[in-house]
Amino acid sequence: MWESTVDGRVLHFRLAGINNQNFIMRDEETGTWWQQVSGKAVNGPLKGKQLKRVFHDELSFAIWRGEAPNGRVLRPDEKIAAANDYAPADWEARVGKMRVVEGTDVDQRLAPRTLVLGLEVDGKSKAYPLQALRNQSPIMDMIGSTPIMLLLGHDKRSVRAFDRRVDGRRLEFFEQIGEHTMLHLVDGETNSTWNFEGKATSGLLAGKQLQKIFVLEDYWFDWRIYHPDTAVYDIGPR
Amino acid sequence: MPDVLTRFCNWTNANRKLVWLAVFVLAVAVLAIVLTPVFLIAPFKGQTPRTMQFSFVMRRWSPLLTLIVSALLLAFSVGLWRGGRWWSRAFLVILLLPVFAATWMARQNHFEWMFNPLPNPAYAKSSEASFVDNDDRVLAVTIGGESVAYPIRIMAYHHLVQDTVGGTPIVATY
Repeated sequence: MWESTVDGRVLHFRLAGINNQNFIMRDEETGTWWQQVSGKAVNGPLKGKQLKRVFHDELSFAIWRGEAPNGRVLRPDEKIAAANDYAPADWEARVGKMRVVEGTDVDQRLAPRTLVLGLEVDGKSKAYPLQALRNQSPIMDMIGSTPIMLLLGHDKRSVRAFDRRVDGRRLEFFEQIGEHTMLHLVDGETNSTWNFEGKATSGLLAGKQLQKIFVLEDYWFDWRIYHPDTAVYDIGPR
Repeated sequence: MPDVLTRFCNWTNANRKLVWLAVFVLAVAVLAIVLTPVFLIAPFKGQTPRTMQFSFVMRRWSPLLTLIVSALLLAFSVGLWRGGRWWSRAFLVILLLPVFAATWMARQNHFEWMFNPLPNPAYAKSSEASFVDNDDRVLAVTIGGESVAYPIRIMAYHHLVQDTVGGTPIVATY
């Protein structure tokens, strides 16, 4: 998701092509081609420019509605819905089986269609297989010198990442298992409770908000094209 | 005007052959310029920065080039038609039809045939969005206190939707 303004001018984008299974958009003002996943101008008059990323989450609708009860939701186009052209409910499983065109010298650390959670912090990038987070959440890790936390929502599908420092103090989090319908986190330092939005809801740190880190959910083959130096999270011996 | 046309078309036999050659070469060139990017940037194919640059240049210039070539070929054809036999006229038609098709194609965005754009997106209140299931995933954005959800099943079709959230013009992409 990107801001449409480049050098003070609002651009209007159209679908224009595909580049290694990631789409190209073309702006109507200059005709420049932009890569969707990176926001970078790849061909044309604005080549080299970079769109500014708009922070966003990928959430299940139920979680989003709980967090943003006054929000608005994009409606389907009636004709396209009537023609049944929108993605079916199981589209994710279908796309997961589609083939991938690859060169021979590619990074084989993960299978091409592995769903990864891609993080970029301090110019370093790291990919976390979604399955690793499903096996163990939250994940406490370091990217460069930044302590981060990856967190799976109670729907076992939505994901958020945070910088886990509060006022210079590094926190460790644990999921509190109980009769809650929503996710309950507790930090080991102050025993404060936290929710999926990264906000402390009770305890010493009540009211504090962890800084969110953008998570790009992507297929491994796509992530490594745009992050050739990426690290890969490894659970390691346990 | 007919006088100009007659003089223009007053080719010797040798010149006629040259005109035929030019017509043939131009027709092939125009088809190549329009069709090559369609093949180069097809889904499920590997692309390189070079093939992208090639495709970009061809897509950018093909609307103008196809128009110029179409006009040229039309002019040549008038000459070849006059005094041409039925088979050379038939051959002209066979040659011109794909050129006109390419001229039209150069003005089309065939990616939007597959995925129709959503030029006037409409929105529902979150409490009234019965078209989304609880388990459906959404792209969620909040700017300046305004929150918007873009259901991924819709976004996976349109791929991009322009919006203004909290006063900021954005393009939601998937």
